[in-house]
Amino acid sequence: MDNSNKVKNIVNKIIGKIPFFSTRLQDKHDREIAFTTIFARFQDILELNNQILDLMATISNKLSGDYIFDRNYIESSSHLMGDLIAKLISNFNILTHGKYRQLNNVFRKINRDIEKELSGKLVIPETDYVIPYRSLTRDFSEVAGGKNSNVAELKNQLGLTVPHGFAITTRAFKSFLEYNNLSERVNIILHAWRGGDKTTEKASEEIRELIDKGTIPPDVQKAFNWGLDNLKTYSDDKKLGLAVRSSALGEDSEHSFAGQYDSFLNVFPENFGNHYKAVLASTYSASAMEYRLQKNFSEQEVAMPVACQMLINARASGVIYTLDPVSPERRVLLITGTWGLGAPLVSGKIYGDSFVVLRKPGHSILELDIVRKREALVPDEKEGCVFKEVEREAQTRATLSENQVKFLTETALSIERYFKKPQDIEWSLDQNNNFYILQARQLNIASKLSSIVNDISSVVQKYPVIFSKRGAIVQKGIAIGKVFVVNSEEDLEKFPNEGAILVTHQFSPILSRVVKKAHGILTDIGSPTGHMASIAREFSVPSIVNTKVATNLLTNGEEITIDAEDNVIYKGRIEELSLYEFSHDNVGEYYEYRLLRRILKRISPLNLVDPKANNFNPRGCETFHDIARFIHEKAVKTLREVKFYNQRNSDIPARELQSTIPLDLMMIDIGGGLKENAGKRKVTENDISCLPMVEFLKGVNAPGAWDNEPMSVDFGSFMSSMTRTFSTGASSPKAIGQNLAVISEEYANISLRLGYHFSMIVAYISEKINNNYAYFRFNGGVTDPVRRGRRAKFIGRILEKKGFYVDIRKDLMVARIKKISKESLKRKLYLIGKMVSFTRQLDVKMVDDDHINLFMREFEKMELKNTGEQD
Amino acid sequence: MDKQNKTSILVLDDEQIVLKRLKPALERSGYKVETFFRSADAFDRVDGKNFDIVITDLKMEGSDGMAFLTHVKKRSPKTEVIVITGFATMDTAKESFKKGVFDFLAKPFKLGELIDAVKKAETRINDIRQ
Repeated sequence: MDNSNKVKNIVNKIIGKIPFFSTRLQDKHDREIAFTTIFARFQDILELNNQILDLMATISNKLSGDYIFDRNYIESSSHLMGDLIAKLISNFNILTHGKYRQLNNVFRKINRDIEKELSGKLVIPETDYVIPYRSLTRDFSEVAGGKNSNVAELKNQLGLTVPHGFAITTRAFKSFLEYNNLSERVNIILHAWRGGDKTTEKASEEIRELIDKGTIPPDVQKAFNWGLDNLKTYSDDKKLGLAVRSSALGEDSEHSFAGQYDSFLNVFPENFGNHYKAVLASTYSASAMEYRLQKNFSEQEVAMPVACQMLINARASGVIYTLDPVSPERRVLLITGTWGLGAPLVSGKIYGDSFVVLRKPGHSILELDIVRKREALVPDEKEGCVFKEVEREAQTRATLSENQVKFLTETALSIERYFKKPQDIEWSLDQNNNFYILQARQLNIASKLSSIVNDISSVVQKYPVIFSKRGAIVQKGIAIGKVFVVNSEEDLEKFPNEGAILVTHQFSPILSRVVKKAHGILTDIGSPTGHMASIAREFSVPSIVNTKVATNLLTNGEEITIDAEDNVIYKGRIEELSLYEFSHDNVGEYYEYRLLRRILKRISPLNLVDPKANNFNPRGCETFHDIARFIHEKAVKTLREVKFYNQRNSDIPARELQSTIPLDLMMIDIGGGLKENAGKRKVTENDISCLPMVEFLKGVNAPGAWDNEPMSVDFGSFMSSMTRTFSTGASSPKAIGQNLAVISEEYANISLRLGYHFSMIVAYISEKINNNYAYFRFNGGVTDPVRRGRRAKFIGRILEKKGFYVDIRKDLMVARIKKISKESLKRKLYLIGKMVSFTRQLDVKMVDDDHINLFMREFEKMELKNTGEQD
Repeated sequence: MDKQNKTSILVLDDEQIVLKRLKPALERSGYKVETFFRSADAFDRVDGKNFDIVITDLKMEGSDGMAFLTHVKKRSPKTEVIVITGFATMDTAKESFKKGVFDFLAKPFKLGELIDAVKKAETRINDIRQ
């Protein structure tokens, strides 16, 4: 066979035609859409995806308080975002030939919600009526209310013990109003009230009566029963007692409606519905209505979410303020405690013991005031609660031991760090001495604080700056603590439980598990839109990435302050800085902020995290971010799976790579992948200008990788035995064959069959970090599945160590990495090349699991020998 | 600058949020601030008092910021005007500068950027006075 025929044959065999074009669009050959067109759409998708992520960050930034924006901005940026998403979807529809057309509907629905918000209507998302705390995330705070979502976050994010419970969402409220035809009637009364035709008391009374007479809709009642049955499984044999309280919007965050709404203790499940209605009715208490009027809340913003928690049969209960509201400059926590339930203490009916504790580590108790506690509120055997006399001996005993005070202090400060504001926390201690956090909300003392830290610049001047303005802030805030440098997985095990500042060269996925313990994070390299950034934001840990110098300039155990507002790292602890941060104006007060936040909820939360999860489909997309994520993932996948069409009429010839290593690789250049003077049929490595390809081939050719060069004795003999096992026929070009690469200047899509396994490498390397990615898929082999599995594991472990996300299923290994700098990604491609070379026949000798580690060591040794290849 | 002699600033914007945020921030920086969201009221006010600095939006419902700043500059040429607008175009910027506007900020802007602009305007006022 002459060469051109051979080329044609191979190309025909593997390239085939793009399936949907051959089945749907194409009549015979003339209307084929060239790969270049597909690729152009793909690049548009990448570019749009970038713009979308940028705009999302830009809009979210406006909530930081640094910016002055107005309604017009909210409108125009929401519309711009909608336009970008629409373009993204339309490009994607072309790329996938409308396979995911459902995205159009999802998009329209989200867009409609945004328009509704912009027109001033409160959009109540179609969530469940009831959400158990274990499934409640911050993204639901709007429907579940502040109290519920704070408590759920403490449980799910910080791992604190909170009562079992569930949120009754605003959707249940809406359904209740609709079922009983209340909206219209309530509005008429409100209208009369605002017009001055009804007193607040009269209007309140009328609305409350309407609610009281209402019936709980059957499907809502069903959801209640489900929630309650769930709770019953947690209560040991005893009768289940509930705490039913308001979790009203705005409460516990920027607005304290504390005490405005009713709450009920020790409610029995069979009476839950009536108490639910009573909490709803308290939305329209005269004082709450007045308060909303004063604070400029629109009545349209009112929708009552309710919390239902298992009542903790408390031995003792109390309250923690993480700062003294009267004299915050003392930098102490105030803890109060009493026997039994905390309600009388919270409402101020009784005094309790008080403990004044230093915020500084060590947390010594400055003052202690133990009062006589004659009575305790306890759950009654019948419904409700009663005061019971406290045993004489216990009346004057302290409610908390020193250790318990310390434990509560550390817990409270971790909550404060997480929410970034001083906290007002309710706690209970059950009969078995387990602590529960019942609720946590912001302590509103901003005005006090601003007066004590009005000249922050002169305070920080006293502290030496270690470095500043390096890298990018990914999560704002102030972090104070001791440096803990993580170089290896073993270091990770030693990460202090009480928290520290995590300092590391580059964030790798395995670090995720200590993020929530970290007070702050600094990395030498990394991208502000990378994986680590989203985790840092998720756990609200002040973080700066890409500082270049962090691991160099900081030493283990050193105390530092990270100012991730201004991007400065100071030596020493500057408590004043975090107080200063607390004192910033509460811009969340303003309607525009609430509006923007609500709109952002349709835009930025990411629900589609895992491409393997069941919800990874158009239907699972709830936000614009989800759509963008879905499209990005599927677009890459589509391009990966494209079978390149017959190039017969094309001006792009497939060319054969001539190389010392017998790869037998055919290359199709779709733009800038080969130098202009490259041969029309045969090219050499020197002709290639495709960046990923160049690096990949360098790796394939790395000394020692393809077994052409001597290795360490053990390993060398190993390899030679392997070479013998495989006859020369197996590694000859003919048998290997069928290797193809589609390349451009920045992109490579490489399909390789070496020996008996199949690899696919897809990579895109450019100056734009956000566009960069590499995908490496490896499977097949000649030995039994167990040995092949070992090889997959070996490859996976090495790649994982190098920062790839790795997924191994049997003998299939898929490694992904994205959004890293051009230089780092070049090194990753080099590594992949080397791995491909090094492992092509390894499974033959992978006779037991120990070999995984043996080969890992060998591979690392080889890496060390090839200096300058480390990353 | 002593208390009697604070630099006076008038802010006109038909979006309350802008006024709500600018007033305390400028006051904290030591200025005497009056805010208006109806341009008719602002017209009346500048007829009664010459402000050191005027900060105005350009495009507002029912009125034209350009007309307002023209009026201000005509009555009190020494007043420095800073334009803040969400509809920044080359043309509006050019026209503003032709009318003698001191600075031009596109919304959204950072609070710090506005304070900087105000400080620069203040320096110029003081230079001219001396």
